[in-house]
Amino acid sequence: VSPHRPIATGSYSHDLLVHDGDHDLVEGTRAFVDQGLASGGHVLVHSAPERVAMLRTVLGTHPRLEYGLDSDLYLTPMSTLFAYQRKLAESREPMELWATGTVPLGENPAGHAAWARYESAVNEVLSPYAFHGLCTYDLRALPPETIAAARATHPFVSTGAHRTASPEYQQPAAFLSNPAAGVPGPPDSPPTVSTTLHSHQDLRSARHLVAQSAVASSAVARHRIDAFVQAVNETLVNALQHGGATVQLKAWAETSRLTCLVADNGPGIADPMTGYAYPVPAGPRGLWVARQLCEDLFISNERRAGCSVLLTTA
Amino acid sequence: MQPVGGRSLSWDGHLVLVHDSESQRRAGVSAWVRRGLDLGAKIVYIEPRDVATERSLVRVLQDDGVDADEVLERGQLEVFRAGDDRFYRETWFTKVLEDALAEGYPTVRWSAEADTAWSVMSPEVHASVEAMTDLMCRSQPVSVLCQYSSHLGEATLKTVCALHGDGLRGALVQTTPLPDGCAVAGEVDRSDARMLHLALAAASAEPREDGSAFVVDLGALDFLDVAGARALVTGTETHRARGGTVCLRSAQPNVAHLLRLLGVDRLDGFSLEGSS
Repeated sequence: VSPHRPIATGSYSHDLLVHDGDHDLVEGTRAFVDQGLASGGHVLVHSAPERVAMLRTVLGTHPRLEYGLDSDLYLTPMSTLFAYQRKLAESREPMELWATGTVPLGENPAGHAAWARYESAVNEVLSPYAFHGLCTYDLRALPPETIAAARATHPFVSTGAHRTASPEYQQPAAFLSNPAAGVPGPPDSPPTVSTTLHSHQDLRSARHLVAQSAVASSAVARHRIDAFVQAVNETLVNALQHGGATVQLKAWAETSRLTCLVADNGPGIADPMTGYAYPVPAGPRGLWVARQLCEDLFISNERRAGCSVLLTTA
Repeated sequence: MQPVGGRSLSWDGHLVLVHDSESQRRAGVSAWVRRGLDLGAKIVYIEPRDVATERSLVRVLQDDGVDADEVLERGQLEVFRAGDDRFYRETWFTKVLEDALAEGYPTVRWSAEADTAWSVMSPEVHASVEAMTDLMCRSQPVSVLCQYSSHLGEATLKTVCALHGDGLRGALVQTTPLPDGCAVAGEVDRSDARMLHLALAAASAEPREDGSAFVVDLGALDFLDVAGARALVTGTETHRARGGTVCLRSAQPNVAHLLRLLGVDRLDGFSLEGSS
């Protein structure tokens, strides 16, 4: 039996609570909320409306206890992740944040995979901060694959009162190779744009090609196209700077989805999680911006040489 | 919303083309000549006596698909080779202008590289020629494009910026002086961020006597990347370091979003106003 490891105030924790009834959920949530309030921190309980209503009835109110809806707070995996990062990194005073609830996994396997990647990336993005998460997964409602993925994305499993290290936990970079992460590849169809860049002076025509094909061949809203093009631009700038003489750009514009693949033959990007951390003053921020302006961004190093970055938006 | 493909920037007035590379210079010069041909203008170009063939205007135009020989033959384009300072005197300018207007041309356009002028006169004398040119562009149907390499150094380029009343042209971007600051139009990315830095450093060099904010009008800026946003910060650093403030005005939604993402709006001395 693994030893109980209490949550240390002022540090980071990200726990999984698996429950098959409301009793375990309420008791686990209560223990977490009580510890958060006792630490002097801010506590957030978030979920779908019925779940929030039920928890509010049993947990009551407190000046530092806030209730929120997933439909307001958890719109997309990356917007949620970077909103937490911003809140913690840009807080003027030291902030201890305790958040517990569900993630809105969505209705299809791609949605479950995208939120599984979110749960994993939380460990990369929020670990520098005094952030505590208790994520509740309902055995009655969720398929076994989703529960298994949650065990790989949370360093600890908890009942609220008792917590132990999760033996199935994987580091965020390693989790990306787990089939449960569902990392997408480029579409099978031929690209709508295929071009080579030799210098920064080629950026403009590359941007215009991607924008034109997206406007012509997809129904994605114009502001999302603009943001995607900006993300592609920053990825190209990064590749031109670090990736050797030429950079290959391919883009696919489908009705509800835009994809870009930026490939170079440079030394590669050592860490596939590059661009997640909050930038240091005067440090690079191109990929950090790019990650926030598209739906998802994947870095992979090629076996022989070079690096490819896949960007998607929908 | 701007159509995809970018807006067309002006190639008229007393402009300085700041270029990072020969290909940028060639693209700018060729676009400037094409604009002159569209207007039916008389085009006068001055190049060094010993200009390398591949840098000559005729070659630049030919490579861009312009029938330079034909334009030369009909006299719309004249290329002079500078061996002394005769092509930089006011009397010569006036004569060329009078002759061209008499021949029925509506306007006259001049262009040359700064290096060409500096091979026949001192930078100080050249600065006085620039001042005379600026006056001429304001009072006569004249447009002048002066070509400067961005590698000249910040101090020189600051002086250059101050001498060109209609602002700076890069390949994708134009900065135009305003009474309370400057306007930035077009696109700023990694390839021309340095030009924006220089233009802002020059425009915000003089302390504002009434203590009002230095305004950067971004209304016609269609694209800004991280390098460009950095140029907004570094180009106004001196101004802000002595207590000045900067108002970034009318940014389009994508530009405003990036500035907020990067926290430029929260930096000391910056404000973001009138953004959608």
